[in-house]
Order: sequence, then C-alpha cells, then structure tokens
Amino acid sequence: MAKPVIEVRNLGIEFYRSRRRRMSLREMVLKRQNSAPSETFWALRNISFDVARGEAVGLVGGNGSGKSTLLRMIAGVMLPDEGHATVRGRVAPLIELTGGFLGELTARENVYLAAGLHGLTKEQIDARFDEIVDFAGPQVQAGMDMPFRHFSSGMQVRIAFALITTLDQPVVLVDEVLAVGDRAFREKCYERMENMLSGGKTLFLVSHSEHDLRRFAERGLYLASGQLKSDGPIDEVIAQYNADADADAAS
Amino acid sequence: MIGVSQFRGLMANRQVVRTLVERDLRVRYAGSVLGWVWTVLDPLLMALIYLVVFTVIFQARRGGHQPYFLHLVTGLFLWQWFAQNMTETSRALLSEARLVRSANLPRELWVVRVVLAKGVEFVLTLPVIAAFTIFYMITGQTKLHWTIVLLPVSLVLTFLLSVGIGMILAPVTVLVNDMARVVRIVLRLGFYATPVLYSADMAPPVLQKLLLFNPMSGILELFRSGFFKGEMNILSVSSAVVLTVVLLFVGAFVFKRLEPAVLKEI
Repeated sequence: MAKPVIEVRNLGIEFYRSRRRRMSLREMVLKRQNSAPSETFWALRNISFDVARGEAVGLVGGNGSGKSTLLRMIAGVMLPDEGHATVRGRVAPLIELTGGFLGELTARENVYLAAGLHGLTKEQIDARFDEIVDFAGPQVQAGMDMPFRHFSSGMQVRIAFALITTLDQPVVLVDEVLAVGDRAFREKCYERMENMLSGGKTLFLVSHSEHDLRRFAERGLYLASGQLKSDGPIDEVIAQYNADADADAAS
Repeated sequence: MIGVSQFRGLMANRQVVRTLVERDLRVRYAGSVLGWVWTVLDPLLMALIYLVVFTVIFQARRGGHQPYFLHLVTGLFLWQWFAQNMTETSRALLSEARLVRSANLPRELWVVRVVLAKGVEFVLTLPVIAAFTIFYMITGQTKLHWTIVLLPVSLVLTFLLSVGIGMILAPVTVLVNDMARVVRIVLRLGFYATPVLYSADMAPPVLQKLLLFNPMSGILELFRSGFFKGEMNILSVSSAVVLTVVLLFVGAFVFKRLEPAVLKEI
C-alpha cells in the first residue's frame, strides 16, 4: 500500500493558559520570577490518523477544540511538543490567506513574492500569472500595479485564493476561507476546489458549514477538547457532533 | 547534527532567500539612489566628527593607524554593518510575523535574509573606502599590504558571526519583551569595546587580553590589515575565528530549542 500523504502520530501541543507568556527582563531581574502564571494545558493530545492520497477529509469540532492548531501543524507553521505530523509533498495552505502579502508592494510584486515563498521559480510564476489574475476577476486585473493595501479586503482574499490554488501542490489545507468573497466568487471557489479534488489532490478542510463539509469531504474527523473523538464517514461524524452539541445545549 | 540540517534547509530555499533579499533592496532603493547615500553618509559624517574631536580638539598624537581618517572610515563602515545586523536580526521574526506564520520555510531563513540584505548594502559602500584608499595612496600616506586579499575572509566572518548571534537574538526577542532595548545598550557599549576609534595595540596589556574575547575586534583587525602598514595580530584573528564558529553553533542550537515556543507566540 502506498504511504499516506499525511501521517499524524501521537500529536500533542501544550499552551500556556495565560495570554502573557512573554517575559519581561525587568521583571525577571527585579522580582526574580516571572509573574505570568505558568499553568499550561494541552490544546491537542494523542492525535493519530493517516490520510491517503486523493482523500478529502473534513475536520469538525466546536470553537477552541484545536482544529486550526492541528491544521497549522500539518502546514508546518507550528511545531508539536509531542509526536509528529509528516506530510509527503508540498502543501498549499488556505489558512490566513493574505498572510504572505505586504500592503506596501503592488499586487503584481506580491504575487511573485508569495508564490516565491511557496517554492515557485520566476519562470513558473510567469507561466501562471495570467491564470491567477483571470481567476481573481476583472476588477483585480485592472489594479495589478496598485499597492496591495488599496484593494478591498474581499479583493485581497480573491488574489490570495487564486494564487494559492494555482500553486498546484498535492495537499490542500482549507481553514474556513470559503465564507469570504461574494456569491459569484464563492461559486468559483467551490468549482475550483472540486476540480482540485477530481485532479487527485488531497484535501483537508476545516469548516462549521455542514453544507461545505458534505459537499467536499467523504471522511470526517471530530475533535473535542483536544482529543480525536471519532474518525469515520462524514455524515456519521457530523451526526455525532450535532448530537453532542444538542446534548450540551440541553444540559 | 545541529547546524548541518539547518544549513541544508537554507540551501534548498536559496531561491526564496534571493527573492526576499531583492525585495528588501527594492524597498530600500525604490526609485532613487538616496538609499545608498544614507548608508554612506552616516558613517562618513561620524568619521569626520571623530577626526575633528580627536585630532583637532584633543590633539592626540596618534589616534590609531595612520592616516587616521582612513582608520575611522574602515572601522565605522564595518561596524555599521555589524550593528545593523544586530538590531535588525533581533526584530527579524517579529517584524515578519505574518509571513513567518503563513509560510512553511526554515525559520533560520528570516535571520540569514536580514544579514544578507545588509551585507549587500555594505558591499555597495566599499567603493567609498576604495576611493579614500586610492587618495591616500596617491598622496603617499599609506600603501596596500598583501593582507588585503584576506578582506573577503573578514566579510565572511562578519556574516557568520551576525547569523550566529542573530539566531540567538531573534527568538529571544519574541519571548522576552524588552530585549530590543538591551540590544541597543549592549551595542553602544560594544562600539567602545571594539577597536573602531583606536587600534588594539594602543590599549594596555590587560585590555588587549579582554579584547580577545570580542570577536569583532579580531575581524576588524583582519579587515583593516590590508590598508595599513604594520603587523596583523594573529592571536586576535584566530580568537575571532574560533568565537565565530562557536557562536554559530550556539545560535543554531538556541534557535532550534526556542523555535516551537516562538511559533506559538508569534
């Protein structure tokens, strides 16, 4: 059997409960201790699962259940304290979409910079530039030489989405980004995601929208307070999540 | 082994480093040469001020190597690169927090990139030093020494030293609030603890021994040796080489240790 594309083993990450984990030198010297409470909690622990090539997995769970943290560790922008998350192949992260973009540069420079950060060479970007701009829409096309911060936030997300999905990387991570954009663009995004799926990409999706989850994912993972509660067909997982949520609301 | 895998990761992403360095330079030199003028003007004016203070006001018989102005210019230019590396690397992760959070790249890259960009700026100022050297050679006040061929070595050492210390400063600044202030103060002290204004052989023996623990002292000695007559202090240069290598490994180790905490915080 082929090796799984995403392999997560005994994954755990510990956070400080206090927002103030940053230390102050003045405090360390004068009081000889850090006044921030050193209490910690495990945002995720003992998480293990595999995702095979071409699978579409939906991640379900309430707020603060560790969904985004898990996604970040798979994307490699956060490091676990226990276990490991291995991804075979490069990742196109649709997380914090406009993160790699800088307001003072023009949209064109930003496309080259962000694509470069994701490992594309200049020639590869040249070849895909038109495709990216086409997808982002005509309003964007007219302003490619405008500073990025002059775009509306919706337009910024459009460019970023167009760019990341054009990277053509084997693993795609999606964190709630489908909610953005107007109706017409959202339809375009759905279409593109479906194309990526039928093109054999592996999809990992975080969403609160049952509609989106059912539409894209076949398999579901249910996270509750840092533990992996269930792993099965998406409909069953959603049903279990809803049952738990209803039970919580009733009690 | 610590350091080796990090080096491999950086080499695999050298295209990205290049993109980032080009962007830094484009932002700095956007549309004009004024950016270059600023990099040159600051150390030149400082050199002029020190020249006036020490030779006209204090009337020191010997300020350092002669001609003293060339001594100041060489020292101040290299020191400026090093000092900027320190302030910029300490902010390297914080100032690019959004990029660090969204791209899966070896995080050491953010430190290396700053030092490289500042290094290119420094290399662009070398013609100014060359112009002064030629002027003093024509007027017969100095002549080049064969050790001028070691000049690139001193630049490589400055680069490695800056990356080493930068890999300690960058993550610590994320975790400790007032680190940036500490860096500023230490740099100001470091300026006088490095033979920028004077030359190491003028210091009393005890201080000369202390200077051996300052890697920038030996590196500056190596950098300057080609411009002036006189012996290069081999002991001080070898001490700088050893300290640079040690700091590079310490930096790589500290960076790896603090990386998970930094990523949670940023």
